[in-house]
Amino acid sequence: MEHPFTWYSLLPYPLSRIAEPNFTALIIALVVIGLALAFRSALQRAKDPVIPDRGITLRNMMEMLVEIVLGLSDSIIGKNGRKYVPLFGTLFIFILIANLSGLIPGVTPPTSSFFVNLGMGLVVFVAYHYFGVRANGAHYIKQFMGPMLMLAPLLFVIELFSHIFRPVSLSIRLFGNMFGDHLVLETFSNLTKLVIPVAFYILGTLVSVIQAAVFTILTVIYVAMAISHEH
Amino acid sequence: MRKLLSFVAAAVVGVFTSGIALAAAEAAAPAAGDYSRAALAIATGFAIAIGAFGAALGQGRMAAAAMESIGRNPNAADRIQLPMILGLAFIEALALYAFVIAFLLQGKI
Repeated sequence: MEHPFTWYSLLPYPLSRIAEPNFTALIIALVVIGLALAFRSALQRAKDPVIPDRGITLRNMMEMLVEIVLGLSDSIIGKNGRKYVPLFGTLFIFILIANLSGLIPGVTPPTSSFFVNLGMGLVVFVAYHYFGVRANGAHYIKQFMGPMLMLAPLLFVIELFSHIFRPVSLSIRLFGNMFGDHLVLETFSNLTKLVIPVAFYILGTLVSVIQAAVFTILTVIYVAMAISHEH
Repeated sequence: MRKLLSFVAAAVVGVFTSGIALAAAEAAAPAAGDYSRAALAIATGFAIAIGAFGAALGQGRMAAAAMESIGRNPNAADRIQLPMILGLAFIEALALYAFVIAFLLQGKI
């Protein structure tokens, strides 16, 4: 089943050497960087940064997104999780824009490729272990040992596998949702041309936002578990 | 007359049975590869069907419990929603594994 038409297929030779998911991911990353720079300059240009702009502007939208991610991090980790918010916010905004780009006809979202998602999952994997070691020092290893020293060899293997499969399950979840959603939309657009696919566009918007939120929430929870001092 | 009737009956039976025999021969003729393709097609359908069935049951139970507790205590809706979406995502991941497997099998047909 080949995709009917993508804007990517129109690219000239040197650019078409880049694989499609990589190329779209690159474009989305550039869009995210552009948004961040525009937001920064809008904050600097404002007379009083505390007073929000009037109406719907880029600054208001970005502040809303930041508020959502900040609220999420505060409600799960607490106030001392604020230094990890840049990671969560970057993931959330990147995945959200990447997912929503799939709604443009002729664009395959980069998150419907497994390896783009695996890249993000591995970043999360490395990041939360790093945060855990930085917060707990050598005691971080105790999280893998379980409550008793006798059970440690058994539990260490179990914990190891559960940690290894975290990035894999994160990326398969995002990949399956976006790929399946795109496939459903494509199949129904081929079956019925006019009104019916709109329902699947609504479903696609819903899935895009929810999956971006789920990826971010799981990242926040993994970081919260890694930096906790409970064990 | 009787002879003619019996002859016609025998001819009809002969034609039908030969048709069946021919059909059986035709069915038996293709190489074993076609059977494996049929098995793949059946497996593809059942993989996603069973996966979706189990996930639907699980998500239904979860959503029912969440709705019930929100109905009992509407003030706790914000606190219930986040774990509910998380749980739904975990259950959905299982259905997605089935989907991925089904898609892999479908590519082999």
